[in-house]
Amino acid sequence: MTLSDIFAREFTRIRVLLAMMIAALIFLCIFLWQLQVFNVRKYRGSVEKQSVRRVRLPGARGNILDRNGVALADNRPSYCIAVYIEELRQPGRWDKTIDKVEKVINELSEKLLLEKRITREDIRKHIKSRLYMPFLVWRDIDDAVMARWAESNAKFPGVDIYVEPVRVYPDGQLAAHLLGYVGKADPNQNEEEPYHFYMPEMSGKWGIEAVMNDTLAGVPGGRLICVDASGYKRRDKRLQAFEQGTKIGERLARSGNDVELTLDVGIQRLLEQSLTNATGAGVIMDPRNGDILAMTSSPGFDPNRISEGLSKHEWDELRTGEDNPMINRAISGIYPPGSIFKPVVVMAALENNKAGEGTFFHCPGYFQLGNVRFHCWSKEGHGSINLRKAIEQSCNAYFCQLGLSCGHELIYDMASNLGFGQKTGVDLGMEMTGLVPNESWKKKVMHDGWRKGDTCNFSIGQGALCVTPLQVAVFLSAIANGGNVYRPRIIKAKDDNGVLVRKMNWSKESLRILRNGMHDVIQSDTGTGKRARIPDVEMAGKTGTAEYGPKTARKKNAWMIVFAPFDKPRYAIVMVIEEGISGGVTIAPRIREIAQGVFTIEKSKTTALESKHAGAWSRGMDD
Amino acid sequence: MINFERYLGIIRHMNWVITIAIGLLMMMGVFFIYSACYSSEELFVRSLYMKQITWIWVGFACYIFFAIYDYRKIGRLSWWVYAGVLFLLVFVLIAGTKVYGARRWLDFFGIRFQPSELAKIVTLIVLARIMSRPDVRLWEFRTIAFILVVVGVPFLLVLAEPDLGTAMIFVPVTFLMMFVAGVPMRFLMSFVGMGTAAVVFIIAAMFLPAILGMSEATQEKVMRYSGLRAHQRDRIMTFFQPDKDPLGAGWNKTQSEIAVGSGGMWGKGFKQGTQNILGFLPKSVAHTDFIYSVIAEEKGFFGSFSILLLFGTIIAAGMQTAIMARDRMGRLLVVAMISMIFCHVFINIAMTVGLMPITGVPLPLLSYGGTFMVVTMSALGIVQSVYVRCRPL
Repeated sequence: MTLSDIFAREFTRIRVLLAMMIAALIFLCIFLWQLQVFNVRKYRGSVEKQSVRRVRLPGARGNILDRNGVALADNRPSYCIAVYIEELRQPGRWDKTIDKVEKVINELSEKLLLEKRITREDIRKHIKSRLYMPFLVWRDIDDAVMARWAESNAKFPGVDIYVEPVRVYPDGQLAAHLLGYVGKADPNQNEEEPYHFYMPEMSGKWGIEAVMNDTLAGVPGGRLICVDASGYKRRDKRLQAFEQGTKIGERLARSGNDVELTLDVGIQRLLEQSLTNATGAGVIMDPRNGDILAMTSSPGFDPNRISEGLSKHEWDELRTGEDNPMINRAISGIYPPGSIFKPVVVMAALENNKAGEGTFFHCPGYFQLGNVRFHCWSKEGHGSINLRKAIEQSCNAYFCQLGLSCGHELIYDMASNLGFGQKTGVDLGMEMTGLVPNESWKKKVMHDGWRKGDTCNFSIGQGALCVTPLQVAVFLSAIANGGNVYRPRIIKAKDDNGVLVRKMNWSKESLRILRNGMHDVIQSDTGTGKRARIPDVEMAGKTGTAEYGPKTARKKNAWMIVFAPFDKPRYAIVMVIEEGISGGVTIAPRIREIAQGVFTIEKSKTTALESKHAGAWSRGMDD
Repeated sequence: MINFERYLGIIRHMNWVITIAIGLLMMMGVFFIYSACYSSEELFVRSLYMKQITWIWVGFACYIFFAIYDYRKIGRLSWWVYAGVLFLLVFVLIAGTKVYGARRWLDFFGIRFQPSELAKIVTLIVLARIMSRPDVRLWEFRTIAFILVVVGVPFLLVLAEPDLGTAMIFVPVTFLMMFVAGVPMRFLMSFVGMGTAAVVFIIAAMFLPAILGMSEATQEKVMRYSGLRAHQRDRIMTFFQPDKDPLGAGWNKTQSEIAVGSGGMWGKGFKQGTQNILGFLPKSVAHTDFIYSVIAEEKGFFGSFSILLLFGTIIAAGMQTAIMARDRMGRLLVVAMISMIFCHVFINIAMTVGLMPITGVPLPLLSYGGTFMVVTMSALGIVQSVYVRCRPL
């Protein structure tokens, strides 16, 4: 039986045809089943991929506060004129939409009296890569423009105000070197589900902003935006379908946390005021726990200018300017310490029983070592003096002899134990180590052996020795607190104990001798730092004048270190000024002003506290 | 008066299963044309469903008219109508309105219509007439050649518009008619052989030159010999390599597949088809050739299956009519009409789900379009005409 025989009857042929048709429809059915029911996930995924855009929303950046809660870094709203291109959409070619957007921007420019800075190419770029986002035409408009906008906004459909956060530093230059600044973050593209658009996010580039960035930045959230085939954002909410298969919505960003510093704005302001018009640095530390109450570097800069956006020229000027305003001299500046190093020598000699309170040396105005003469600042000489007087007078001849009798190794050990030549470990970047020289260093770098002259230079804080002001503050605090070397803290800690790096186990006797000498520096009428004296509080300190650079230039750094009050020190003040006359002349008067200010602040705080306790009944009104 | 009663009698004797299936499909058509167009910017597009309702009335008028009109009389007029259609096909090539680069439309006092749609049904009626003549000698080569010429002329004229989709409908329907009419197997088999050879040739002409490493210019030349136009070639290319140009030629295929696939079991809901609303399924075709994607996306497998079921009902009931028909002319007419509808349904759905290359074939009763509505309803009217005349009235 052949095929022809089977199909011989017309009815059979019709039935076969019908069967084939039904079979074909059943085939389609099966295919549809596997497409729509089996593979639905795959296709829903494709729908989401092509019609949903993920936008990353950074959390609000946390504030930076001083120890009393005063904001040092904050955010303010910046108002932008934004064009929502989806509302200006024109049918047909993209150029028509670009024309329309450009026309609107031109009209806005006229109405708002703002210079048009957007080019056609900018519009095109925006449309191409982030059409679903508002197009920001003018950022950070001022109040006058805002008023003009309020008058005429009804005439501009598709244009609206968009609010952007901008980092502000309410006190401008205040503590700029500590706070640092923020810049645009580089979004981390390696995230599990990369976003289509990263809302501009601030990221700390320097200082506390950088060190504490993770705390300040918070946790970013995300928003899903539905776009159509052309890439325009869909504004209507009729598409409930997305709620089933895909999640259209928003995950809110978590705001960053505030960072509290150990800084006290009042003290910081005093310190900065006293350093205006000078190049140098200052640190005020609480010797009881290593909290940095104030730290400054001069000249400074205004970080607000950076967050507003600098031109390349301005930026270069700031970064490579002559005075290097962007260097935090308190931690990155290294200076020969000069006479303020002498307390280290004193402690090295006393603690190793190489000298005592009654050790006398003679000063004829210089110290002769072979054919080299180390001059004392007093040309006529101090005569035969004891240790206390030598500290008070900062006698170079005495200290050369003391150093030689003590030996440079012991001084080196003392200096190292006090943290010189190492990073203090403060939570700020760019810290320098400085240098404490010894024999192996000299051999390695100078290819020479250690000589007695080196010991003399070492003993008067000259030579290769160099330190940062913060290291000096740590060492000064150790003298003030009885031998505790603390790691300096800039971030406020929960406890008041401080982070102990080393306990020096100094004898009370040695400390008493040194402190008495330092007391006389300020409190004695012949002391080198007498200009720092204030009436109410006894203080102790040491001045220093370090020569640097070539001998002929006669460049001098002026130093002074002070702790106060003398019996129960709460403040350790360190200041250095480049190209000063001397510690006693250049810095002592500034320290006096600072000390006066500091104790006035302290007094007002105690009174405020007392009155608060006394007037507890009025608290309800204050809140 | 007498006539009117007679007409009512005829209407009462029509196959109501078919009529109900038609009504349901048309209703769905209106709903989903609305859904496909409601998000459009243009008022004209948004109100297309209203126009479709008008076309449905016109369609039903044709349906009733052809049901009442004795199919045996249609045969007598068919040659005249055939000549007229050929004239229109030539005329549209000269004076037709160009839409998307093809001359398919004629404007008649503000009403646009496609002569190619008309040509389909008229040619099939002529074929039924030829093959049902008592003296026809289907086993002779002469007869077969004559049939091929009758189909070939309108086929080539439609192809020249160009309207590949419509032209391609002629081929399977003619084949199926010949099969049912009893054309000997050797002819049918050689047609199958020739068809296969043609497909192989086209595919070879498209892919071989590139594989053999011919230059672009030579490839272009080979392509021209194959007789395919650029956009047709693109569509076929797309079918085989959809990922090659997903934003260009492959767009419709990919997006339609995503629309259907993302519908799931029960769909995203009426008016909730994101593929359509967001414009991934191009708005220009969503309510015409891709109406099935819209339904499948919004009503899921449930919707797409229901539609297949309704078409299946119409086809089965139609073929039943063919068996019951009193004469050969009626049988062949019904087979021709039902085959035509089946081919449209199959090709349209197959291309919607990505089983076949994209060709402009509308889905009967559902796609928006006046001419095709009139043609489909006329065809079904003819089926009813045969049905009511199975038994003496």
